[in-house]
Amino acid sequence: MSGSDDHRLVARVVSSQDTTAFGELVRRHQSQVRNFLRKLAGDVSAADDLSQDCFLHAWDKMHTYSGRGSFIGWLLKIAYTTFLQSRRKSKRYAEIIEEVGHKMQTDSQTCTLPADEVTDLDKLLAVLDDEERAIMIMSYACGLSHREIGDATSMPVGTVKSIIFRGKQKIRTSFDIKDHKHG
Amino acid sequence: MTSKIINMAEKIKDADDRLLESIFETSPIPDAGFSVAVVRRVRRRLWLRRLAVPVAALIGGGIAVKPLAGFVSIVASLSPMIPPQFIETATSMIPQLPTVVLGGMVLAVCLIGIRSLED
Repeated sequence: MSGSDDHRLVARVVSSQDTTAFGELVRRHQSQVRNFLRKLAGDVSAADDLSQDCFLHAWDKMHTYSGRGSFIGWLLKIAYTTFLQSRRKSKRYAEIIEEVGHKMQTDSQTCTLPADEVTDLDKLLAVLDDEERAIMIMSYACGLSHREIGDATSMPVGTVKSIIFRGKQKIRTSFDIKDHKHG
Repeated sequence: MTSKIINMAEKIKDADDRLLESIFETSPIPDAGFSVAVVRRVRRRLWLRRLAVPVAALIGGGIAVKPLAGFVSIVASLSPMIPPQFIETATSMIPQLPTVVLGGMVLAVCLIGIRSLED
């Protein structure tokens, strides 16, 4: 898969709303987007729903892709925004539920995996906040450069680096990460 | 040059980085109909958008018929107040006015139709 092929497909989508070309883009990048959101949300089915929403937003905003950075970086930016929007919505929903006197279900409760399915990666990600988690996943799981992460999160490269450093420090102080199960 | 140095510095990974990469590493997720489902949702939205304008026009037209008819009847009742000389002058100055208005309406309908076909 090459960047120029992605650019050609994007051009077809923008110029003639070619759903076949868009389908090819989805096929190429669905794995990385779903992996990113699964790790970020901690819930497989919710993450897959978010991934679908992410690609629908990508379809709507395709004309805004300038072609400067990598397409996957641009997609992950949309995925991250989609995740944050859904997180805000679910928080607001929980607040409304609480206001009307029902038992509040927090995000962490809905995202919890059964104890036997919790991997070291899940434990490791649990010590990080949303922002740190997203950036660490982009860096270590998706292989994005610091600049690409900066573009995706609208942060300066220096801030990205310091967040990665802080994330590593947190992990180092919380875990002995020598023996692990793969996440 | 500076960006190359930055890229090189980024690629220099310590043991922690390599360990974290191995922990974060996951096998690719098979498509298993995911892309087909996304494309189906995109096509459905395209069709909904294509239908939205004609449906909105129909609903709007349906709602507007009654007040529009009332408005026309009010205007018609006011027509005796217009001096006949004024009407004669206007029709003599722009004799093709009804044709121009009709042509404009046909053009607008054609443009909307072509636009929705392009979409």
